[in-house]
Amino acid sequence: MKTILAELETRFGATGARFQRDDLASIDLPADRAVPAVTWLKEHTPFVQLNHMSVVDWIEDGQFQVTWLVTDPRGCRSIMVNTRIDRERATCDSVADLWPQAVTYEQEINEMFGIDFPGSPRMGVPFILEGWKDMPPMRRDFDTVKYVAEHHPHRPGRKHHDPRTYVGERFGEKGYLHD
Amino acid sequence: MTRRITESREVQLWFGPQHPGITGNMAMQVFLEGDTITRGKTHVGYLHRAFEKLMERRTFIQSFPIVCRICVPEPDTNEYLLAAAVEEIAGIEIPEKAKWIRTLVLEMSRLASMLMVLGGQAGTMGNGVPPQWMIALRDYILDRFEELTGGRVYHMYIVYGGVRRDLPPGFAERMEENLRRIEEYLPYVDDVIFDNAVFRKRTIGVGVVPEEWVDEMGLSGPIVRAMGIPRDTRKDWPYLAYPELDFDVALAEGSDIYARALVRRKEIQQSIDLIRQILAKMPQDGPYCAKLPNMMTWKVPPGQTYVRAEATRGEMGYFVVTDGSDRIRRVHVRGPSYIHGVSLLERMLPGTNIADLSALMVSLQVCPPEIER
Amino acid sequence: MSDRDWNDPRLEEALPPVADDGGPRPPRLPARIEDIPAHAPIDDTCFLGARKMPTPIGLPEAVQRIKNWIRARSLWVMAYGTGCGSIELRPLATARYDMERFGIVMRPTPRQSNVLIVSGYLAVKSLKRVVRSYEQMPSPKWLVGLGSCTINGGMYWDSYNTINRLDLYLPVDIYIAGCMPRPEALLAGFDRLMKLIDRGEANGWHHYLENLDWYKANQRKLFDDGDMPDYNW
Repeated sequence: MKTILAELETRFGATGARFQRDDLASIDLPADRAVPAVTWLKEHTPFVQLNHMSVVDWIEDGQFQVTWLVTDPRGCRSIMVNTRIDRERATCDSVADLWPQAVTYEQEINEMFGIDFPGSPRMGVPFILEGWKDMPPMRRDFDTVKYVAEHHPHRPGRKHHDPRTYVGERFGEKGYLHD
Repeated sequence: MTRRITESREVQLWFGPQHPGITGNMAMQVFLEGDTITRGKTHVGYLHRAFEKLMERRTFIQSFPIVCRICVPEPDTNEYLLAAAVEEIAGIEIPEKAKWIRTLVLEMSRLASMLMVLGGQAGTMGNGVPPQWMIALRDYILDRFEELTGGRVYHMYIVYGGVRRDLPPGFAERMEENLRRIEEYLPYVDDVIFDNAVFRKRTIGVGVVPEEWVDEMGLSGPIVRAMGIPRDTRKDWPYLAYPELDFDVALAEGSDIYARALVRRKEIQQSIDLIRQILAKMPQDGPYCAKLPNMMTWKVPPGQTYVRAEATRGEMGYFVVTDGSDRIRRVHVRGPSYIHGVSLLERMLPGTNIADLSALMVSLQVCPPEIER
Repeated sequence: MSDRDWNDPRLEEALPPVADDGGPRPPRLPARIEDIPAHAPIDDTCFLGARKMPTPIGLPEAVQRIKNWIRARSLWVMAYGTGCGSIELRPLATARYDMERFGIVMRPTPRQSNVLIVSGYLAVKSLKRVVRSYEQMPSPKWLVGLGSCTINGGMYWDSYNTINRLDLYLPVDIYIAGCMPRPEALLAGFDRLMKLIDRGEANGWHHYLENLDWYKANQRKLFDDGDMPDYNW
């Protein structure tokens, strides 16, 4: 796997190659070279399966991190290919023509984070939510407690406690299991 | 409206969320010409609880009760994966006995889930006897879970560092008694399900998944093993105590509904044997949980990982990202039904008979809570 | 089940052309629902504009008591597993807990059942279908709220997609607390429900029809995409 990671570094300008475990590596790519790298991995290396695709919202950096997890099923190893895209103009290349299941992943990411994948079918088609008018809910600036207070009222008389302090208030320091 | 509907060639049928043949709470929008489905679309979202958003607001230990409830028949795999991912990032080693107890709990929950699914497979054919048997047999395992963890269905037993409590004394004997009772019923199950002419006629050759789709779509679990390909996450990506256990991957030929049911039947026997092996080989003393700092204020260094385990349905994975605070930054649950229930099912539908649809869905073991979390 | 889904032009992709064999064809329907001419404005909270009236419950007491007794001992539950709690409905049907000795059986459709068990949390999308199923059930009908999610939101109290109070949208006759309740707890709940029916106190369906506007206003706040459940007959 080290040769493949080295090849990614020379060909696509990847950085930050590290091994999380023996069978899991992680590598970072610039936004415009990420999908060509993933395509190259699929076509020219044993890493032919797309196991997972995910997005992390780094709101403090103003970026989304998109991660593709490609797997070599016969050699039993995986690479996490990470890239960062801009949060304001969130758009990323699509891998839907490489793997059919990516259509579902991209549809859900579009709905939940608001990232556009031009060329992917089912962009804008709602997958999980119905009649949703607010901002994409998995973004970190979407406040779910405020939304619930407006739309899903509770029964009156409900009390809230923060468990981090409540245990100490009720039982003293002995209330915590470990110190 | 589509042209075919206005020309009255096609009928649109909503196989909706309330239907006795549906697994869980999802809808299939199918278009029929006569009895044959021309195409279909999966609609999910009826069970969306926004787990991942909720987990961003919970501390590390508060995530366990939430994460259990992602998959109802088999909650322990989810707990294990969350614990394993965070332990890997934080660099915590769990004691030997905890590893074995975790394996035991995972195998018990696999057994309970397999029993239910095999019963459900017969139930979709109209055979009402095996579901009653299997759910009753599953109750034996749930009794053992209740003795071990306090809850029948949701256990919250696996925590960071190990497990919550030790095995109670005499557990192995009671477990053996239950396994013996389950094994008594399995020959009857074989007669009623696998030797049944109706079941055979309705399932052999039906719902065939071609081999090329495995790598193209990332399939896993009994769907792949029913093609004769020996892929099992417990053997390929070993975790917990599985390297020290001796078992064969359950295989079948034909890649149709019958072959998948056969794989599940073999895996029931495999789980029973594994539980016996685990109870025999488990170390009797040792700590069951590593000492961890105060769970309410524990901070984990930044990191990113993906852990996988073999759930009943296939390979389940958790993608976890932490950022050094006292909450998990991002948990993304990759359930096997995400691919099997949406991409694979929609691709297999054209040409299927409407009468086989619910058998096909149970055979692919589509679990809607995993798709939309 | 909104127009948005099956009117989606992406569903037209890659369809082979329809063969024209010259046989008889039904008249072409207009392309969009909006083009079908409407008649007089109808009350869109009710199907076909017909509002169902609550049935009077004023009968001689002996007859009423016999009716209640019979109804309570033959509760047919609709097999709709709306949430996690439905996993404990299956063991109820097995011989160990055996709900059939109380006359409780599982039925496949709303038209043939009179108890709806809302087993756990309800996503907004699911609530719309549950309301529709509830309205399709013939009266008298009862609703059992299973689990703590129906009472006050339960574990998903801060989730944007699940409702917190079921009785704002549907009339609940009995709650069974727990997460999730054991089958014995379910049987205790059914026992309590049967006692309530015997006494004539479980009249949720009546309350729904008398306060239909209030319930529909609450539902409309959630489903404001114009596809309100309106089966009320």
